[in-house]
Amino acid sequence: MAEYLLYAVLNIGFITAISPLMLGAVKKVKALSQGRIGPPLLQGYYNLAKLLKKEIIYSPNTSFIMRLAPYINIGFLLAAAAMVPVVFLPSAEGAPGNVILFLYLLVSAKFFMALAGLDAGSTFGGMGSSREMSLSAIIEPVTITSAAALAFVLKTTDISEMFAAVLGASLAQYPTLILIGMSLFIVLIVETARIPVDNPETHLELTMVHEAMLLEQTGPKLALMELSYGVKQTVLMAILINIIFPWGLAAEATLPAIAVSMLSFGLKALALAAVIGVFESLMAKIRLFRLPSFFMLALFFSFVTIVFELLA
Amino acid sequence: MNELIIGDDFIKILLVLVLGSAALIITQRSLVSLFSIYAAQSAILAAVALALFTREGTASLLFMAVLTVASKVIIIPFFLRRLLAVMPIKRDLEFHYLTPIGSIILSTGLFFVVYQAFSALSPALEVSRLFILGAVIGVSLALMGMMVIMSRRKVITKIIGYLSMENGVLLFSMFIAEMPFIIEVLIIVDLLMIIVLSAVLAFGIDSSVEAFHKRLNQLGLDFED
Repeated sequence: MAEYLLYAVLNIGFITAISPLMLGAVKKVKALSQGRIGPPLLQGYYNLAKLLKKEIIYSPNTSFIMRLAPYINIGFLLAAAAMVPVVFLPSAEGAPGNVILFLYLLVSAKFFMALAGLDAGSTFGGMGSSREMSLSAIIEPVTITSAAALAFVLKTTDISEMFAAVLGASLAQYPTLILIGMSLFIVLIVETARIPVDNPETHLELTMVHEAMLLEQTGPKLALMELSYGVKQTVLMAILINIIFPWGLAAEATLPAIAVSMLSFGLKALALAAVIGVFESLMAKIRLFRLPSFFMLALFFSFVTIVFELLA
Repeated sequence: MNELIIGDDFIKILLVLVLGSAALIITQRSLVSLFSIYAAQSAILAAVALALFTREGTASLLFMAVLTVASKVIIIPFFLRRLLAVMPIKRDLEFHYLTPIGSIILSTGLFFVVYQAFSALSPALEVSRLFILGAVIGVSLALMGMMVIMSRRKVITKIIGYLSMENGVLLFSMFIAEMPFIIEVLIIVDLLMIIVLSAVLAFGIDSSVEAFHKRLNQLGLDFED
C-alpha cells in the first residue's frame, strides 16, 4: 500500500511537472524547423504562472458547469496519469491500470470540456464543442481498436502489466508493436489536437477546434485547462514511449532506479516531442471531411496487427 | 536455436514494415512520397531476401536481393523522379470508384480473406507459420497493388500500383512458390521497359487514361498535318 501511495504521488507529480516542458519542446522544435527562434523552452511554465495570477471573469450566461469543468477535467486526467507508470512499475496487486478505464477517463474529460464549451452560449464555444464531438465519434472506434490490438498482443488489459511485458522482452518478440506504435502516434496527434487534425495555436474560426472550447475560460481556470491538455499529451506520449522503447523504466521502487527512470523518460519524451514538432511542420492542416482517411490508417494498422498475431 | 528465433523475429519485423508501406501507398497523394515509399518497400523486400538467404543459404535469394536493390531501389525510383520533373502535377487527387478511405477498408477486408484462405490451405502446404505469414502478406500486397491500379486515375500512380503488385508477387515467391531466378530477371526487365516507356510517353503521363488517348490522337493529327 505504501509503495502504491509513493507510486501514485511520484507518478502524478512527475507527469504534471514535465507536461508544460513537453508543450514547450514541441513548440520550440516546430519553430526551429520552420526557421524561427520560437518561444523559450520553459514558456509553458511562465504562461501557467501568469494565468494563475489573473482574475477570473465569467460571462453572466454561464452555469456551474463552466466553473466546475476545469477541476473535473484535470481530475480525470490526473487519474489517468496515475494509470500510466513512468517513474517505476508498481507491483501487480496494488496498481489499477485497466486500459478500458483509462480510455473512459480521457473521454469523460473531453465530455466535460465540450460541455463547458457549450455552456457560455457563445458561437465559437458551441462550434468547437460540436467539431470536437464529431471528431471524437470518428476517432473513438480507432482508439478502442488500437487499445484492443495492444491488449491482444500483450495478453493483458492492465497498462502496467503491458509495460512489464515489453520491458522483459525485446521489440523483436513483438514485431506488431511497430504497427501499434504507428496507430498510437496517430491517436496521439488526434487526441492532442495537433496538425493535420487541428491547430493548437490558431484562433481562426475556420480551423479552431480545441481552442474554441477554452475561449470563455479565464485566469487560473484557463491555467488548469492548459495544464490538463499538457498532462493528456504527456500521458499519451508515455504510453507510446513505454510500449515501443521501454528502456530505463524502473521495475522496482529504489531511489537510483526512480532517478534513472525519470531521466530516461524525460529524454525519450523530448525526443518524441521533437518528432511531433517535425511531423507537424511537414504536414498541412487536412480538410475536416478528409480526416477519416488519416484515422483509417490507424484502424488498418490495428486490424492488421490482430490478424498478424493470429498468424505468427 | 536461439539465433534461428532471432532471425524469424527479424523477418516478422520486416513483414510488418512491408504492410505499413503498402498502407501508405494506398493513402498517399503526393507523388514524391509515393516514389520514396515504393523505394523503401523494395529495400525492405531486399532485406527479407537477405534474411532468408542467411537462413536457407539459397544463392538465388542473394541474387534476388542484389537485383531488387539495383533495379527497384535505385534505377526505377530514379527514372520516376526524372519523370516528375517533366510532369506539371505533383499530387494525385483523382480516384475511380474508391477513395483512399474505401481502399484502406477494402484492403483490411482483403487481408482477412487472404488470411482465411491460407488458414484453410496451411495443413496441405506443410510449411512453417512464418512462411504462411509471408505468403499471406505477399498475396495481400499484390491485391492491394491491384486496388491501386483500379482506384487511381492518373497513369503514373497506376504504374506505382503495378510495381507494388509485382513486389507482392516477389514476396510470395520468396516464401512459397520459389520462382526460378530467371523469371525474376525477366520481370525486372519488364518493369524497366514499363518505366522507360512511361518516360518516353511522359507528355501525357499527368493525365488520366481517357485524356491520354485524346492527347495521343492529337499528336497523331499533328503528325499528319
